[in-house]
Amino acid sequence: MNLSYRIYYVFLRNLISYKRFIFTTFLVSLGQPFFYLITFGVGMGAYMGFIGGRPYLYFLVPGVLISSVMMSSTFECLYGTFVKMIHEKLYDSLIATPVSAEDAIAGDIAWGAFRGMISGTLMLIVSAFMGILPVSFINLLLLMVLMMFVGVLFSSLSMIVTSYSPNFDFFSYYTELVVTPMLFFSGVFFPLDKFPGWIQSLSQFMPLTHAVNISRAVYSGTTSPGLAFNFLVLFVVEVIAFVGGVKLMKRRLIK
Amino acid sequence: MSKVLVAAKNLTKKFKQLIAVNGISFEIHEGECFGFLGPNGAGKTSTVKMIHCVSPVTSGELTVGGTPASINNRKIKMNVGVIPQEITLDIDLTVLENLMVFANFFDIPKRQAKERVADLLKFVELEGKKNSKIDELSTGMKRRLLVARALLNHPRMIIADEPTTGLDPQARHLIWQRLRQLKRQGATLILTTQYMEEAQQLCDRIVIMYKGKILKEGIPERLIEDEIGKEVIEIRIPKEEDEKLIHLLSDSSCGHERVGDTLYFYCKNGQDLKKKVVDLKLTNFLNRPATLEDVFLKLTGRSLVE
Repeated sequence: MNLSYRIYYVFLRNLISYKRFIFTTFLVSLGQPFFYLITFGVGMGAYMGFIGGRPYLYFLVPGVLISSVMMSSTFECLYGTFVKMIHEKLYDSLIATPVSAEDAIAGDIAWGAFRGMISGTLMLIVSAFMGILPVSFINLLLLMVLMMFVGVLFSSLSMIVTSYSPNFDFFSYYTELVVTPMLFFSGVFFPLDKFPGWIQSLSQFMPLTHAVNISRAVYSGTTSPGLAFNFLVLFVVEVIAFVGGVKLMKRRLIK
Repeated sequence: MSKVLVAAKNLTKKFKQLIAVNGISFEIHEGECFGFLGPNGAGKTSTVKMIHCVSPVTSGELTVGGTPASINNRKIKMNVGVIPQEITLDIDLTVLENLMVFANFFDIPKRQAKERVADLLKFVELEGKKNSKIDELSTGMKRRLLVARALLNHPRMIIADEPTTGLDPQARHLIWQRLRQLKRQGATLILTTQYMEEAQQLCDRIVIMYKGKILKEGIPERLIEDEIGKEVIEIRIPKEEDEKLIHLLSDSSCGHERVGDTLYFYCKNGQDLKKKVVDLKLTNFLNRPATLEDVFLKLTGRSLVE
């Protein structure tokens, strides 16, 4: 792993180019949480009543927030990275400078995580207007750290997919067969305890499940013994995904 | 003899089954312009990519400035400027941003970068375009911007991989001028091209590559003289008349070759032959100086390279 501080330069390049898309992406990033909060929170929430002794929105917001981080990071490192790699040939010119292939990929992972954090933060602002916020300021900061962590995780996982992808269509396998099921089987919208045991076991293999559990704990300020396990799973998956994503992308970039 | 900057010994590059570069050896000296000539797929680009450390060496030795070339050698990359074959400008950024962001990659402090970028935009005559988007530029402008980008780090060695492909004559000559100017300032120039005129215009020494091997190495003028002579006479006549004509012209000590619809004579001195051709009242003939293109075609065969 030939990593250096130049990761930051790659991140900065993305930030400068982002100026041109900022308005559109903000609008899109805001649209999604509104959609979820209104349909599930307000519409369906009327039938859900209370979960864990609190109104349904308290259950929903921490999950939707983390899944919006997942979505933004994932799409950035699938489509965004693919366009930069194949159509714009950006990596070809990057690796001819002192920026290594690893720097370039890690810089894009950092960028994907940042995009995820923007979505998460917009969601945070929207839900704050509905009166739902983490219990303390410290917890709010913890939530930001969690968002970054989850952003890096899903950016890295997407890099693995991108490193194998011959074209855009290939991404559908991942988004439709992995990401979408994850969204519904990770306890984002409703608790998993009514599912049969095997689905509950399956959900333990989904990183989003663990991220959502931690997010809820950060929001409510209540800890439970399962949290340590959630952290451990996320950490292990993150390290594997990051190393794997960088290595596989490097294999594709350097011939 | 000047210092050796790049040295290759039995350099080989394989992509799975394909052998792109097949055990070549060469030396490039500091301050010279060295050209890799060859048709598509000869292995030129693969060779220079190994030199500027973006493609790993499969086997053999390759050193640049005394250190082994490897993809992790940031020191080499710090001192090399690359004008790539493909236009790899950052289309999400403006002309100015392209250069500023790139300067960052070389750790050039912002203040210094600003001055450097202003100078370079002048050098490639793009001052008026600094706030333009990349898709607003013509191909010639894009190529010039690539030249400017390659010079941000004051490189000691400049690699130009087919720098004028697809350019009109004005743009091509401007690029040549700039490359010669850089050479005068002391930079080492490594050029790949399939345009023989370009090699003759710019290079002190060339190698002719074909199917991953080096066929010939030398100074352009001398290669022409050794391989072809001074002049070429092309005569477009039906093949059936070859024998008769060659017989008639046989004592003029010129080599000949039949390719497609044309009979070629390669001469050290074409006066004699030309006179005979005029006497024979042949109208379909052309007398011209021998060029690197003739050398190239003689060595690689005139058939189409796929």
